[in-house]
Amino acid sequence: MTADLARHPGLERLLARVLSGGTWLATCVIALGLAEPLFDWRGASPAMPATGSRIVTAGIALFVFLPVLRVLLMLIVFVREGDYRFGSIAAFVLVIIILGVALGMHMATGLPA
Amino acid sequence: MNAVEFGLWLFAMSVGASALGGALGMASGIFIVPILTIFGGVDVHTAVAASLVSVIACSCGSAAPFFKGRLTNIRLAIVLETATTAGALCGVVLAGVLSVPVLFFIFAVVLLLSAQQMMARRHEPAAVTYDPSVKDWATVLRLHSSYPDRVLGRDVPYRVRHVPLGLALMCGAGLISALLGIGSGVFKIPAMDTALRLPLKVSSATSNFMIGVTAAAGAGAYFARGDIDPAVAGPVALGSVIGALLGARLLLAVPSETLRLFFVVVLVALAGQMLLSAFGIHLMGHAA
Repeated sequence: MTADLARHPGLERLLARVLSGGTWLATCVIALGLAEPLFDWRGASPAMPATGSRIVTAGIALFVFLPVLRVLLMLIVFVREGDYRFGSIAAFVLVIIILGVALGMHMATGLPA
Repeated sequence: MNAVEFGLWLFAMSVGASALGGALGMASGIFIVPILTIFGGVDVHTAVAASLVSVIACSCGSAAPFFKGRLTNIRLAIVLETATTAGALCGVVLAGVLSVPVLFFIFAVVLLLSAQQMMARRHEPAAVTYDPSVKDWATVLRLHSSYPDRVLGRDVPYRVRHVPLGLALMCGAGLISALLGIGSGVFKIPAMDTALRLPLKVSSATSNFMIGVTAAAGAGAYFARGDIDPAVAGPVALGSVIGALLGARLLLAVPSETLRLFFVVVLVALAGQMLLSAFGIHLMGHAA
């Protein structure tokens, strides 16, 4: 019975590390970007200058990428364990997310939705 | 309000929303969109996109303790994510088609449903006897598992049931998540409890784990579309992470009944204002 259980202790430890590490990294990047105007001693800058705004956007992109990275890690581990059925399920989820990004780009450039 | 004050207001509001949501095991998104649109005058699509980023942040930030407790069923999560992400894509398309008053109306309904769900007690699903010779989806996909129960001091095995029904409900949850920028717990809980019949702790942990990927499917599309405004999403994400940390402590300090009641009052008040806004009436704040 135990062998049938849906358990992946190694993968779970890896995902826990990646997700909490990634959260801290993205949070720090966003905080850095938001604090950037405060350290701009040259003055005469608008409240949200281009550099700070770009750093914040990078932090946000990091957050959006984090769950995608965890699906990718699951895909790799499943395939390495020889579990091709779950490898393809993870790949399917990745394809849907990529389709979403393509859809967003299409909506941005194509007809106003 | 200048840009710095606006940023600070966004930050403080997100800390509060996320602390309250986190203390009750709910995503903060349900508060963020109404507050941003009603009081902040933020465009509804920008608010939804910012809220999704905060939902991702809360999901990723709180995943580790659930793993440590061996509560998250990752095999079940990835199977259900095929449905939630597909639903999220439909939600993104629908968000581009529906008018703002219709979105507000749907949001108000979801707020009221959440308030009702908050008042109702959840029960552990009753143990059902099963026939081991039956090969259902969950058996074929090896989704059954066990979780450690501290009271009993041993691992309790559980069986996952009705996967096709669970997938259908999760598709709806994904759609609502991307459409409204929320974690969509209000639709995931019935799917987990009545269809899949998971133990409550496994249900919370697995749902929290899935929310990140579901929200990322929606947020990725909005990001590519250019709907993510760093001046809004940045302070909201930062505030949500800090709020979620505070929420865990709040849970220990304040009686949960008091929190629950406060939560319901806030949900109903926001639902009322969203409904009025849907019909073009603004009592508080400014028009979105």
